[in-house]
Amino acid sequence: MKCYLRSIYIAASLCLAASPGMVHAAGNGQQIEIPSVSDTYTKGSKSYLLALNDAATPSQNQANETQAAQPAEFEPPLFSGSNAHKYLGLGTLALVVATAIAPKPAEVEGAAPTQAQLDEQNSSAHAKLGRAAATLAAATAMSGLLTHWDDFHLEDGWSDPDNLHALLGTAGALAMLAAVNQAPAGGHAGVGMAGGVGMAIAIKLTW
Amino acid sequence: MSKILKVCSLATALLITSPFAQAEENFMSWLIDFGRTKEVKPVTNMQYQKECGDCHLAYQPGLLPSKSWAKLLTPEALEDHFGDNAELDPATLTTIYDYAMENAADKSFYKRSRKIAVATEAGEPPLRIIEVRYIKRKHKDIPEEMVKGNKDVKSLSQCNRCHTQAEKGIYDEDTVRIPNYPDWDD
Repeated sequence: MKCYLRSIYIAASLCLAASPGMVHAAGNGQQIEIPSVSDTYTKGSKSYLLALNDAATPSQNQANETQAAQPAEFEPPLFSGSNAHKYLGLGTLALVVATAIAPKPAEVEGAAPTQAQLDEQNSSAHAKLGRAAATLAAATAMSGLLTHWDDFHLEDGWSDPDNLHALLGTAGALAMLAAVNQAPAGGHAGVGMAGGVGMAIAIKLTW
Repeated sequence: MSKILKVCSLATALLITSPFAQAEENFMSWLIDFGRTKEVKPVTNMQYQKECGDCHLAYQPGLLPSKSWAKLLTPEALEDHFGDNAELDPATLTTIYDYAMENAADKSFYKRSRKIAVATEAGEPPLRIIEVRYIKRKHKDIPEEMVKGNKDVKSLSQCNRCHTQAEKGIYDEDTVRIPNYPDWDD
């Protein structure tokens, strides 16, 4: 029970880590400059002729009129669905690794396991971490579906990064759930690992 | 152990056949690079930045495929660059052309560029970023009053009016702020 709670705490910590803005900022790998204040680019400026109807073109191009806009101060939100999805995915990977390296009880093969053996299997750190990883994987897939539902379009084919990400991520989550369902029977390790690798590739493709 | 080998083989096959691996950049450097590449590669060429940025946002080359840049960056095309004369001296044009071609969407492994490359594989090359199917789709739900009817935006071609980090090549939804519509949320 203690171990199970501990794995839940780890999962919860990883989820909470999704929210801080500093993580988001570091993730961009670039220094965020706050855009300078400007509301002076309007006021009847002819430069906007450039933009009219998107297809319109300016009759004149006066450089000082068409300079890039300087948006007013804006800071990305500290918490967003996109961030939550990202860190749920990273949390899943961390739990997959933890599951793989956690001490495992001997697999039950051949004869039906006794109740004591089953209890030992279910209460092991490996089993608890595995269940936590599969749960987090399912949450990741769900959050991806909710926050990025408009990024998947079959017309773009499977070479589209988001389509591939969705495919591999969902397959990975399903494989992990299958592995948990199959455990402690022999052979679940390969399925679980395939799920973890699928999710890792999905993350890398859109990182 | 054989399961581990199978899983590793599957992972390798998936990565090697992914569109990123097929982009004309160094696959290994992409593979071991943990820096984020989900957006568009920022402009790194000062001359490109200066020449294009003098008149409008220096759109990142990764926003269009190379076949579009090849059409846009010719001496003839620049004589009438969407209604303006944007002629460049041959040496400058060569530098800008080469930079755009080397960093075009179909040569980049940045995610958004890859999506643009996929969306423009077939058909005529778009001459405007907003003509790219993927970009069009991303903006289709934005009411007209927030763009054309918005005195601080006026057009979708003015990316940096709403994408507050457009100059860094960041176009994700979290960095969007539509002027005069602070509460807008997609």
